[in-house]
Amino acid sequence: MNYVNTSDWYNSLRREFEISGLGIEKVSRRSEYWRKSNLDIVSDFSQDNSQIDLTNLKGTSLHEPDLIVHGDILESVTERNYQVLNIMDVIADEKSFAKDFFGRLEKKSQNIVPRPLARDNTLNPKVGYVFSLSDSFNKPLVIHNKTDTSVSGSFQRNLIVIKEDVEATIIETGNNLSVFNEVTEIYLEKNAKLNYLDLTGENNVSPKIAHKFCDMAENSSFNHFGLRLNTKATRSEIELHLNGKGISTSIANVCILNKKHHYSDENVLINHNAPECKSRQVFKSIIENDSTSIVRGKIYVASEAQKTDGYQSSRSLLLSENSKFFCKPELEIYADDVICSHGSTSSSLDRESLFYLLSRGVHKNKAKEMLAVAFISEALEEIEDESIKSALSNYLDVWISSFFHE
Amino acid sequence: MLKIDDLRVSLEEEEKQIIKGLSLSINPGEVHAIMGPNGSGKSTLSSVLAGKDGYIVDSGTVKYDGSDLLETEVEKRAALGVFMAFQYPIEIPGVGNMNFLRTALNSQRKTRGQEELNAADFLKLVRSIAKDLEISDEMMKRPVNVGASGGEKKRNEILQMCLLEPKFVILDETDSGLDVDAMKLVSKGVNSFSSSSRSFLVITHYQRLLNYIVPDFVHIMVDGRIVKTGDKSLALHVEETGYKNFLQLGKEKH
Repeated sequence: MNYVNTSDWYNSLRREFEISGLGIEKVSRRSEYWRKSNLDIVSDFSQDNSQIDLTNLKGTSLHEPDLIVHGDILESVTERNYQVLNIMDVIADEKSFAKDFFGRLEKKSQNIVPRPLARDNTLNPKVGYVFSLSDSFNKPLVIHNKTDTSVSGSFQRNLIVIKEDVEATIIETGNNLSVFNEVTEIYLEKNAKLNYLDLTGENNVSPKIAHKFCDMAENSSFNHFGLRLNTKATRSEIELHLNGKGISTSIANVCILNKKHHYSDENVLINHNAPECKSRQVFKSIIENDSTSIVRGKIYVASEAQKTDGYQSSRSLLLSENSKFFCKPELEIYADDVICSHGSTSSSLDRESLFYLLSRGVHKNKAKEMLAVAFISEALEEIEDESIKSALSNYLDVWISSFFHE
Repeated sequence: MLKIDDLRVSLEEEEKQIIKGLSLSINPGEVHAIMGPNGSGKSTLSSVLAGKDGYIVDSGTVKYDGSDLLETEVEKRAALGVFMAFQYPIEIPGVGNMNFLRTALNSQRKTRGQEELNAADFLKLVRSIAKDLEISDEMMKRPVNVGASGGEKKRNEILQMCLLEPKFVILDETDSGLDVDAMKLVSKGVNSFSSSSRSFLVITHYQRLLNYIVPDFVHIMVDGRIVKTGDKSLALHVEETGYKNFLQLGKEKH
């Protein structure tokens, strides 16, 4: 069977992936990777968008966009010295460089964890950006997901290649109005560095799953920061392959939920395949009002990955009795000379600290706000860029303030 | 200023009465010291006055400037001028010291209906106090009490006191964990802050602090009540003979 407007290489890949995809465990409550999770992403989710107030759905937009993803349309807003291609043109192009990259990481990501929705994405891409970067850019690339009621659910497929010694920062903002499935495959060559800030999903009521798969070469670096502000049902799946010496990576996440039955679901798998690499995972969740935060974080250390330094911390601040935090930290280690640690805590606001602030005259709501801001600060510290960090920190101060003064 | 009348307090978690009928009057400008052996209820008294939870007031009243202190919210007590220097000041990672101090000061001013202090005036004020107490800029920039030594934490308490300008100050075992130099510095801060309109309640286990902060009245507290009151010579007497002579007094009052 051939597909209209697609290349032979994509058609043959698609055939192969379709068949092997039959063996991938489906999304279900029985799966250990979906237990406790929100399954709206696979339900027949059709909602009446006409009632949704879009002004409340604009999401976190701290930065002016360079690229706008609007339904199946990819719109370039600013001039850049590198080319950004649409995935639909890329999979139609017989000679595209992407044929050596497309689907490879998605396939590899199925080895340990079944990711049926990533496979659906490979078989049905609708929109997405592709670029290969040979020069560093000073300014972050800002990609904005634009919402309006005319757009139906979408499969977004992205491919990023960062060449040797090149550094880049990507900020993703905006929202989705219906079921949204995103896969981003990222290849970092030697000494390459990518900072990725996923600031999507603020007040988002539509289900979303975002996958990021990253292959990392010697001395490369990948830092990911995720922000979940009252997302109804957002799930993230990140898998990294640390394939060369001296790689460092940080995955940080701040989740703040105070609306009923809202879910944030973070899944990270870091494969240490080479010696002397460092990985950090820092998750901070503030949850209230029958909302749920889920963190599954795994560090896998292969036998040759000696001198691995792996750290994982997931902490939650539970502000009401019916708020829920599920955490599954995992270590699977086959090397003997490694430092790996994980810690998980759930607690309410520290009474002693609260009393100390009150005893100095700080008003109760303000004191709670100060402690909540302090609670997430460790995750924000993972952001390297000072100006992005401070903009985000100010934004969150205001957000948290409204949380305690509603 | 402060009038405690037949106060009885139990712990919330176990049915155990700690303060068993304590009465005390403190007038403006007076310095009162409460001394007593471990477990006599000294720290419970300071916690109850500051408004810490975990205690049940079984009976008795505490009037502060005519109002019912025990019915007043913790943050309101602070705005009314009540300040407790903690025996063990809390470390609060992630909350910057300067941000904390400014928020505290302006929250109190707001509660009292005063205008908030702007950033420049605040900085000037806090720097001059920090200088007197020999608190470094580096310490001021850190999160509240994080990485501070025992002495630095206590000095930070005194800095908060000088900044917030309370009318009634409780020093809860402020001397514990201090070396002589730190104690002199802390006492100097307290003494320069004292005035005819401010009152102090100094809670201590040992007499030595009272060499530096000289009390008008010394009360000996045993088993939840005051068993003897005198002037500063009473503290010296205790230093020589210990508390054992007073333990019997505690039993007799039962």
